[in-house]
Amino acid sequence: MSLHPAVPPAAAADEVGSPTVVCAFAVTRTPPPDHALVSATGHEEGGPLRVLRAGNLCLIVQDVPAALFDSAALTERLNRPDDLERCARAHHRGVEAVFRAGPVVPLPMASLYRDDHSAARAVTAREAALAALLDRLGGRTEWAVKVHAVEADAPADDSNGTGTGTGTGTGGRAYLSRASARRRARQDAHGKALAEAEAVDAELRRHAVAATRHRPQSEQLTGRRTPQLLNAAYLVDDTERPAFAAALERVGADGRHTTVEIHVSGPWIPYSFARLEDGS
Amino acid sequence: MTDIERGYSGLEPQPYAPVTGNLADLLERVLDKGIVIAGDIKIDLLDIELLTIRLRLFIASVDTAKKAGIDWWETDPALSTRAARDALAEENARLRARLDDLEGAADETVEAVR
Repeated sequence: MSLHPAVPPAAAADEVGSPTVVCAFAVTRTPPPDHALVSATGHEEGGPLRVLRAGNLCLIVQDVPAALFDSAALTERLNRPDDLERCARAHHRGVEAVFRAGPVVPLPMASLYRDDHSAARAVTAREAALAALLDRLGGRTEWAVKVHAVEADAPADDSNGTGTGTGTGTGGRAYLSRASARRRARQDAHGKALAEAEAVDAELRRHAVAATRHRPQSEQLTGRRTPQLLNAAYLVDDTERPAFAAALERVGADGRHTTVEIHVSGPWIPYSFARLEDGS
Repeated sequence: MTDIERGYSGLEPQPYAPVTGNLADLLERVLDKGIVIAGDIKIDLLDIELLTIRLRLFIASVDTAKKAGIDWWETDPALSTRAARDALAEENARLRARLDDLEGAADETVEAVR
């Protein structure tokens, strides 16, 4: 099947012959029908999505202007927040379009190749591993679960209450002992919250095919005052989804885990599990 | 205690899924280093978390600005190419105005000399 026009229409519309590179979105066995690919938009600056055959697999790609997607230009663009967001969403749209037609191995954003030959070779060189990965990810979705320590209602702050005369010798000692008591209380609370986060993880894992962890996000990123204790992703089989949802209900039920807050997003295309086990 | 957000919703065409709140989650996934196949073109990105924080601050400020009816991101040359063009046009207009002033002043000087 050759869906590759001599000149990509969108590129032809404005600058005939301007050099392009090949941007890859996902590997699949079940490429979407032409009309679905035509209506899907990848990167705004590029041509339509198209299917590139690579052995028994297909790579969904888009021709994008080399001037915008070469190493220097892309580095500069992706280090700018608005361009980064546009690019990430464009990539996700492309992968989503493929996912609607069947199982995918989503590729990382900005997987760029010099030409079709080079892109196809990247797939055929790992065809068996990619085929196994496709089988593993088929009929499964990813769920993102983040666990944070709850914000303390009132930081047990008794520095103005019981402790009178902090200026005197005994007051100073009393102050230190209160300070260390507060520190112990904080450590205890943190330890308890961590243990609850681990318990949440253990319960969710029981209904997942696989689990992986991302680096916990900093408070600067979450905008919360308490630390993120768990930033996990679970690969859940479609048949297990009700059980996984029920487990989420259970761990999130009032009074069950009082020191943590749980945030879930999903179902996601299984990005976090699109990696080859042996690192080949 | 459990918030659930949808990453994509079924088969509905949803060009901007997932919603803005999930952008950090999306970046974590699409930029993840656990690469299956490597491309020909290497990009040198800042730390993902740093990028995401920047992005979050950017979104937060856009949201705040929108609420306040401000659209600085559309007029900041660093953030928009259209704004860059506008900035050029503005500078052009300013220079023309200054030229007119100078020409006017020159004419007056010529007249005063006469």
